[in-house]
Amino acid sequence: MAYEAQFYPGATSVAENRRKHMSGKVEKLREISDDDLTIILGHRVPGTDYPSTHPPLAEMGEPECSIREMVEPTDGAKAGDRIRYVQFVDSMYNAPSTPYFRSYNAAINFRGVDPGTLSGRQVVEARERDMEELAKFQLETEMTCPALACLRGASVHGHSLRLQEDGVMFDMLERVRLENGTIIVQKDQVGRPIDKKVDLGKPMSDEEAAKRTTIYRVDNVPYREDKEVLEWVHRVFEQRTMYGYKPAVQE
Amino acid sequence: MADDRKRMFQKDLETKFTKEHGTNKMEGGDITDMRIPYYRLGVDQNPRKLEMKKVGKDIAEKRGLAGYNPMMHCGGIPLGQRALTPSFISGNDDMMVENDDLHYVNNAAMQQMWDDIRRTCIVGMDMAHETLEKRLSIEVTPETINHYLEVLNHALPGGAVVQEHMVESHPALVDDCYVKIFTGDDELADEIDDQFLIDIDKQFPAEQAEQLKSAIGNTTWQAAHIPTIVSRTTDGGQTTRWTAMQIGMSYIAAYGMCAGEAAVADLSYAAKHAGVVNMGDMLPARRARAPNEPGGVTFGNLSDIIQTSRINPDDPANVTLEVVGAGCMLYDQIWLGSYMSGGVGFTQYSTAAYTNNILDDNLYYDVEYINDKYDGAADKGIDNKVAPSMDVIKDIATESTLYGLENYEKYPVALEDHFGGSQRATVLSAAAGSAGSLATGNANAGLSAWYLCMYLHKEGHGRLGFFGFDLQDQCGATNTFSYQSDEGLPHELRGPNYPNYAMNVGHQGGYAAIAAAAHAGRGDAYALNPLIKVCFADEMLPFDFSQPRKEFGRGALREFEPSGERSLIIPAK
Repeated sequence: MAYEAQFYPGATSVAENRRKHMSGKVEKLREISDDDLTIILGHRVPGTDYPSTHPPLAEMGEPECSIREMVEPTDGAKAGDRIRYVQFVDSMYNAPSTPYFRSYNAAINFRGVDPGTLSGRQVVEARERDMEELAKFQLETEMTCPALACLRGASVHGHSLRLQEDGVMFDMLERVRLENGTIIVQKDQVGRPIDKKVDLGKPMSDEEAAKRTTIYRVDNVPYREDKEVLEWVHRVFEQRTMYGYKPAVQE
Repeated sequence: MADDRKRMFQKDLETKFTKEHGTNKMEGGDITDMRIPYYRLGVDQNPRKLEMKKVGKDIAEKRGLAGYNPMMHCGGIPLGQRALTPSFISGNDDMMVENDDLHYVNNAAMQQMWDDIRRTCIVGMDMAHETLEKRLSIEVTPETINHYLEVLNHALPGGAVVQEHMVESHPALVDDCYVKIFTGDDELADEIDDQFLIDIDKQFPAEQAEQLKSAIGNTTWQAAHIPTIVSRTTDGGQTTRWTAMQIGMSYIAAYGMCAGEAAVADLSYAAKHAGVVNMGDMLPARRARAPNEPGGVTFGNLSDIIQTSRINPDDPANVTLEVVGAGCMLYDQIWLGSYMSGGVGFTQYSTAAYTNNILDDNLYYDVEYINDKYDGAADKGIDNKVAPSMDVIKDIATESTLYGLENYEKYPVALEDHFGGSQRATVLSAAAGSAGSLATGNANAGLSAWYLCMYLHKEGHGRLGFFGFDLQDQCGATNTFSYQSDEGLPHELRGPNYPNYAMNVGHQGGYAAIAAAAHAGRGDAYALNPLIKVCFADEMLPFDFSQPRKEFGRGALREFEPSGERSLIIPAK
């Protein structure tokens, strides 16, 4: 019997988009070349080898261990890659993803990742090539709008600020800018200028962003109208409260 | 309720975000606009930053060593690329201040508030009197007590009494040091010289005075405040050490005792340990702090230290909001921001809860909602309260949270003002938690509302706060009514060192408010400790504990006069 994971309650487009992000079944909207991805991540020079922190596992003569036998190492772990990060900032103004849904996407659909979730940003640490696989996935799909989301390793301020006049999320370091209708990256995620312009493609229109977002907003899909989600939150709250009060009565 | 309700924050945010301040060119636009031009003017737009820049340059030139330079930010990108806007102090619409001036280092009123708490202890007189009467057959009368208090008001600031040829403190440096007494015994109170008495009948509304006198009974207590300068130089543990020493000397002098007789040891014990109330408990060794340091000040104690409830008892929401301001400053800015962490940053989390009337608006909305739906349950009173149940908590917390979230969605400037999730999590939960307390008169019910708010907030916006407190906020519901002794404390007895609160930056003022709201909502004279409530009902204290937010504003505007200044002993410049 094939089990279809439910992932998330709710009847609205926001709930549906949340289910998509969690399941990983998202639409691919753009192509980012490996070199361009490497440039904007800023961890190494494109074309160079992945720096490693240990020899390939195959050469290390690992001890016998049933867990090691059961769990297939990720490619990055096999090769001995160092740990590196990718960090996204998503605007509150109908950016497609949010920190928690980026984390759910990473944790459910990718192996060997360590997602961290904050209010203004979301970081994933992983072996470098594994991290790049996730970063490319999230950048190329409907999880990201290049104007309403941004790679920001440092100085992450901006997710809750009003948008610039051109509709791009404010960034004090101006890592990206709108140029001839497309979003151009001019600095890597930390804010260091890069040698070439990386084109991330067209921003989503206001309508498209409103359709693809995972954020409830009163001017789009109001949170209070998704009754099933509120009911579900109430249930989680009630169960946890009762567990602390009287564990024995909990089902 | 009609959605066209006038929001309290609208006027403040219109001034803050659509008017020019300094040279930041913020004029024009509307607080509902989602897009604005960013001028990227940097430091030069803001008068305070300019002042700091100039002073930093002067210092560097004078001492030949690099100092403050705002261009160091992000390797040469100046602060203020967006816009640097001042803020209003909530509840005080005429007070607009620079945000830098709400850092406690820049704000003398904030420093004084903490000084006044740390340098205070309450010492019982009854054991000492019994010792004098039973061990030594010395008669204690109102006259002898008055004489003793006169002696102690000389000795407590550092004057010699039974010693001779002693070094003493200069009285002008310690003029904020004094002791008064209070009692629930009306007859004794009548006999005490007015200058030495905190008169409960005068300081509190009649209903509250009765509650306090009933709780205190015929016991008598000294409200002692050691010199600010001493407390600032040493630590909170010095408060009882200093007080006990001078109390012992004063008993010896006032009652003509032999300095070496055995009963002195009993007096010393009584003065130093047996009948002593510290404002804060000692912390465990891993966070080792003396008594009377902020990590040990329970939320109930802070609620009692703040005096708004006796000045404005019929507006329990206002009482709550003043406790939020005081708690955010003390617990978040000073305790977590400095004692626990180390410096810059936490001010920004905290000020969200006491500036620009955003939290105030949310809580007063909740009051209207509760009063409409639960027949005046948010008004002051006992018989009007709604019984705390899961359904009531769910209803109030959900409505409060949705209202607050929708304000951030409808008013982009509100979202921009609270630009971090930590700020929003605090404000929304403080509103929901306080509302739960006001409606039920039960602080743990309020706390339960706080945690539901956290869940709703996270789920609605897909984000909450930061690593440091998201975990505690998401497991907190489980220990709200916990059966485990270390987690199951009534909320009034919890404090900033409670296991799940010890790192909850930005939350602590809200927690304190939940305790205050339950009791202000009921019309109780105190939340946890009647002695502390009376002790701080004293207008001689430099900091006005009845309106802490206004005092912070006065500090930011550089209008506040602190104690403990050293100009007398510093070369004139």
